[in-house]
Amino acid sequence: MKTPHSGTRRSPAAAARASVEFRAVTKRYGSVMAVDAVSFTIEPGTLVTLLGPSGCGKTTTLRLIAGLEMATAGRILIGGEDVTARSATDRDVSMVFQSYALFPHMSVIENVAYGPSVQGVRKADAEAMAAETLALVGLRGLEQRSTSELSGGQQQRVAVARALVLEPQVLLFDEPLSNLDAKLRRRVREDIRDLQQRLNLTVAYVTHDQEEALAVSDRIIVMAHAQVAQEGSPRELYEAPASLFVAEFIGDANIVAAEVGAIVGAEATVRLADLELRLPHRGARPGAVRLAIRPDAISLAETGGLAGTILKASYLGKVREYTVRTAIGDLFVTVPGRAEALVPGRAVGVGFTADGIVVLPE
Amino acid sequence: MWFGLRAAAIGATSAVTLLVSAGGASAQGQITVYCSVQEEWCRPMVDAFEKETGIKVAMTRKSSGETYAQIKAEAANPKGDIWWGGTGDPHMQAAEEGLSEEYKSPAMAQLHDWAVRQWTQSKGRTVGIYSGALGFAYNTKQLAQKGLAAPKCWADLLSPKLKDEVQVADPNSSGTAYTLLATIVQIMGEDKGFDYLKALHKNINQYTKSGAAPAKATSLGETTVGITFMHDQVTMIVDGAPMKAVAPCEGTGYEIGSMSIIKGTKNLEGAKKWYDFALSAKAQAIGGQAKSFQVPSNKSTPIPPESPNLAEIKLIDFDFAKYGSSAERKRLLAKWDAEVKNLPK
Amino acid sequence: MKRSLATAVAGGWLAAGWVAFALLPWYWLDLSRGLQDFVDFPLGVGGSALALGVAGDRPWLLLLAFPLLLATLALVLPLARGPGGALLTLGGVLGGLYLLAQGFAIGLKGWDWGWLGAAFGGTPRQEGLGPGGTLLLLAFLLLTCQGLARRGWCRGDAFVVSAIGTVVALIALFVFFPVARVLAHAVIDPSGAFALAGFVARISDHSIWGLDCLAGPLRCGVAWNTLLLASLVGVGSTLLGLAFALVATRSNSRFKGVLRILSVLPIITPPFVIGLALILIFGRSGIASTLLAEWLDVPRSRWIYGLPGILLAQLLAFTPIAFMILIGVVQGISPALEEAATTLRAGRWTTFRTITFPLLRPGLANAFLVGFVESMADFGNPLVLGGNYDVLSTKIFFAVVGAAVDESRAAVLAIVLLSFTLLAFFVQQAWLGKKVYTTVAGKGDGGLPAPLPRRVALLAAAVVAPWSVFMISVYGIIMVGGFVKSLGRDYTPTLVHLSTAFRIDWGNHGLRFAGSAWDSFFATIQVAAVAAPLTAALGLLTGYLLTRQSFAGKRAFEFGTLLSFAIPGTVIGVSYIVAFNVPPFELTGTGLILVLCFVFRNMPVGVRAGVATLSQIDRSLDEASLTLGASSATTVRRVVMPLLRPALIAALVYSFVRAMTSVSAVIFLVSAKYNMATTYIVGRVEAGEFGLAIAYSATLIVVMLLAIVGIQLAVGERKLGRRAAPQPTGRTL
Repeated sequence: MKTPHSGTRRSPAAAARASVEFRAVTKRYGSVMAVDAVSFTIEPGTLVTLLGPSGCGKTTTLRLIAGLEMATAGRILIGGEDVTARSATDRDVSMVFQSYALFPHMSVIENVAYGPSVQGVRKADAEAMAAETLALVGLRGLEQRSTSELSGGQQQRVAVARALVLEPQVLLFDEPLSNLDAKLRRRVREDIRDLQQRLNLTVAYVTHDQEEALAVSDRIIVMAHAQVAQEGSPRELYEAPASLFVAEFIGDANIVAAEVGAIVGAEATVRLADLELRLPHRGARPGAVRLAIRPDAISLAETGGLAGTILKASYLGKVREYTVRTAIGDLFVTVPGRAEALVPGRAVGVGFTADGIVVLPE
Repeated sequence: MWFGLRAAAIGATSAVTLLVSAGGASAQGQITVYCSVQEEWCRPMVDAFEKETGIKVAMTRKSSGETYAQIKAEAANPKGDIWWGGTGDPHMQAAEEGLSEEYKSPAMAQLHDWAVRQWTQSKGRTVGIYSGALGFAYNTKQLAQKGLAAPKCWADLLSPKLKDEVQVADPNSSGTAYTLLATIVQIMGEDKGFDYLKALHKNINQYTKSGAAPAKATSLGETTVGITFMHDQVTMIVDGAPMKAVAPCEGTGYEIGSMSIIKGTKNLEGAKKWYDFALSAKAQAIGGQAKSFQVPSNKSTPIPPESPNLAEIKLIDFDFAKYGSSAERKRLLAKWDAEVKNLPK
Repeated sequence: MKRSLATAVAGGWLAAGWVAFALLPWYWLDLSRGLQDFVDFPLGVGGSALALGVAGDRPWLLLLAFPLLLATLALVLPLARGPGGALLTLGGVLGGLYLLAQGFAIGLKGWDWGWLGAAFGGTPRQEGLGPGGTLLLLAFLLLTCQGLARRGWCRGDAFVVSAIGTVVALIALFVFFPVARVLAHAVIDPSGAFALAGFVARISDHSIWGLDCLAGPLRCGVAWNTLLLASLVGVGSTLLGLAFALVATRSNSRFKGVLRILSVLPIITPPFVIGLALILIFGRSGIASTLLAEWLDVPRSRWIYGLPGILLAQLLAFTPIAFMILIGVVQGISPALEEAATTLRAGRWTTFRTITFPLLRPGLANAFLVGFVESMADFGNPLVLGGNYDVLSTKIFFAVVGAAVDESRAAVLAIVLLSFTLLAFFVQQAWLGKKVYTTVAGKGDGGLPAPLPRRVALLAAAVVAPWSVFMISVYGIIMVGGFVKSLGRDYTPTLVHLSTAFRIDWGNHGLRFAGSAWDSFFATIQVAAVAAPLTAALGLLTGYLLTRQSFAGKRAFEFGTLLSFAIPGTVIGVSYIVAFNVPPFELTGTGLILVLCFVFRNMPVGVRAGVATLSQIDRSLDEASLTLGASSATTVRRVVMPLLRPALIAALVYSFVRAMTSVSAVIFLVSAKYNMATTYIVGRVEAGEFGLAIAYSATLIVVMLLAIVGIQLAVGERKLGRRAAPQPTGRTL
């Protein structure tokens, strides 16, 4: 059986999802280095997040994939094909913009049907495809509305539908949640992840929010100063940050000074104040090192362990947050919200769970 | 929705039409005339010529200064064949710069001396077809309101009662005003002439850009006295304006409306036919019928009754060769700029 | 598949190039002679370059085959994108340069470049480029652009490279080339030698830069006069235009519609007419002066002649342009921004001062620039009302056509004028700075435009109301003038002027347009109707390139688009004759030269309107379209143009109207076949026949009003998906 537009549209399952590969790509604006010899690969059908503080080059990287910026040096491959010199028009890539960039002079359906119609699909077929995609993102019935009559979340979904309708090899998201309220963010990000997995899409996703990145990604590329700081799965990044920067940027790590003692196999004896821990050495040599301690890897007790004093306390329902003054510095600690409240000024004993502490390679 | 592009496409298509339908005037049996008199005079002249010779005429009307500039700019590949009408100075200048062709018409013998003199002075490159005397006109209503006696001479214009009441063009922009400058210098001598112009400066309310503008301003009462060619004033008077034209008692200069064949014309024969035709009494009579009251150069042309009678006007022996030359013109204009125009009032 | 599309476009131009070379008539044809030029085809007058090169006496044309072969190789050989592009570019550039060089080197009468003649000898001759030559030149240009796009220029976007290449080539050919030829006179003495000393002396002349007016009753230099006038007009017309735009968009005035018409009237008024009407009202014997003198004993004076008169006339004439530029910008400001300010506890006035007004800056700056430049180039009003107040434009005019013709002086004055334009341009750029003025973003923004703060509303009304009354009286005079015997003297009603101009007879052969104005009337409408869409398209395309694309030399390019606008028409007119009267581009005497002159003279308004409007539209809208697979051309057509409607209307209206009303440039370009309405009118004014001139003008005004209404209807309003202010429904008695 043929759908009216079967000639122009591949079914989601059969769609060939492509990889994206950067080979030492550089983008310079005059003397400013926006992207500096960056290499990475996004595997087909995965969602990869470009994460980093503002100005780190993540949006430029995304625009380089889209073809909205041209690389100064290096090669960009999509689906194994070199597209470095191709314009945005000639790349099978769609993008969801931070501002949504909905065409203000078109209705919802016209916005979504725009892509197929400029590809030469007949108007009726284009609108059928658009309606189908709108249904996919849950906007059935709003086709004839003007974009300004929609809520922020609905506008965001129109933008997603417009990008999806062409079933691009690669779909790009530029901070898609930044204009939404907190509750909506969580839902929309789940929807995006769900859609990506259902349609087996290759997605590159830019955000500066580490929680968002951890929640949606198959892999995360952390960028800093126009370079890749670390690439890996959310868990790898969280549990084994490659640098001080990554440790601090993801998961609010406490950075403390320690001393590596004897090394046995993959593990080392690490002296932290008067405690002794056994941790994976991760290439560290005996001597001074820094540790990243996750706030949830610290436990607070009446006594024992490292002596500390509660400095600040706040109750967030699900968790309680404390700042504890100790001999190794002020530590940021989270404990389950159901635990007993500790008031500032109170003396506590601080303990550590080994699997929440990593030795930072120098 | 994409009106703009569609419109551009339509525009481009019609631009092609414009391009193709543009007929060159170089085809046989057609001449291009640059006409520098009034439109009403140009048209019947063209009609009469077409009827007489069967040669088609493409006519463009422009002022003499504009035509001169155009002929000069087109010199490398002339587009016109003959330049008919307009004050004599730019014709003389074109002759001086070799932009016009020598020609001796068989009709030469029928012309007034002043017309032939124009021809000899230009070494046969331009010929007089009409002339008009310089004069001034006053607005009768304004004069009566001020209770002034009618001015009759150039000297009367210096009266302190006419302070800010005289208008004339700027000689830098207007051939008419330059004729006044040259006339005054020739009547009074250069030193006294400039003294006169300095004294007149106190009474001038405005040096207009266009030569004929003071006639119109006089007719509207914007100024009491305006200095222009008399036939321009007559046009207003015939139209019913409350004004009177005066031929100054000390004598006055005049212009010689001229005609030149453009050098490099692709249709010399046709141009010569127009030349001969335009000098005939029959053709020159068209001027009067078209409300142009200049005096024609063919002796046997009937003079329109409204025209200022050149015989009754004391005309000076205007030295067109000297005052028409570029060098003398530049010198006098520079002197006028320096000594007269910037004087405080 | 998209790859092959780009190849197809390049292949198409290559094929066009071969056809132009081998089949089309190479030289300029005079089709009024019918088809006789084709008797000897492919040889003879209408022969092709290939045939004339092989068998005729024009062997130099054969060399054009080599660059064409290079381009063919580039497309046929299985080359990689980069090297293939390089070869294509090489072919295009070589071909274009050789084509131009042979055109300029060999002219109508033999060698135009003497040193080449000395080397080769002989006296080869050739005429101007015709269909074949022009098409091949265009093909070389576009093949070059395709090649550059393949090498990755402009993000590899062939449309953008081609658009930039075409616009640059057109501006070079129709602005820089002619203007440079005329301005060269500034440093060349009459004998043709280079003379820098003379130039220095002329440009530092006291009559240009003197400051005597500060010290006493003497006059200042013409440069200062012009600068003062242009600054006053620039500021004045911008503020008046703003007042009109605010009232027209943000108030509930019932007179909005009237206001819009009224604000457009002056630009559709042929020159001289406004000046004339002002004299009839404020002149010494004018209506207003007479009333004041009789009732209030105010002494009559000639204050209108000079700076006040020119200023008044130019404000009347140029405010509408400022209005048209500003109205798009005022409409484009997102209500959400104003609402945001209001929620931050800003009062209406604070909102206006801190949000609305700053967002208007691109509009204000562009309106100022246009007003400033227009004032400097205007010569009709200073001519009629100038009195003893000299400005550069009239000085230049009379240096070209006056009693003392002096091209080098004209060129020097034009250079002074151009440097003022340059100055204004940089001041404008500095004032705008690098701020962002985007207000139309892709995020649908509802909300209501903030009503005007009371102060601003009152001020705008206080400006608009008297100015409207003033304009109505000016136009009353003009309309009356065409239908009375003699304006200012004899107010007996008559239709004689109208019938002289536009009489229609029923003769033996049916309808005959017997009036003396019909020829010029039809020619004018034809030329204007062709020029307007081309002007708008080119202007807006250029505006798009300036705001949306980045490329080397963008600033110079932007200034180049302003150049033709800033130069007085007289200079442009003469420069067009000098440049386009001889091969290789021989256009004088055609209607096309008029169209070209209008297109390149009026294009800057389209550019400015486009730049002002586009700087409000979020770039990501274009980018979204690109990533959805639309080409740049499609993006322009489907996303940019619909959002540019106000600018499109402004550009269309302006260029149509200016083509019908401009004089100075056209005076030199009209021919017997293509005479223009304005040259006819100027002729009438020179002859003192104001009645006829005004009757004709009144007719033109009516025609143009109809055209403007037509354009508005055809283009339509821009939909921005914003809610309109609630209309009061139901009427209470």
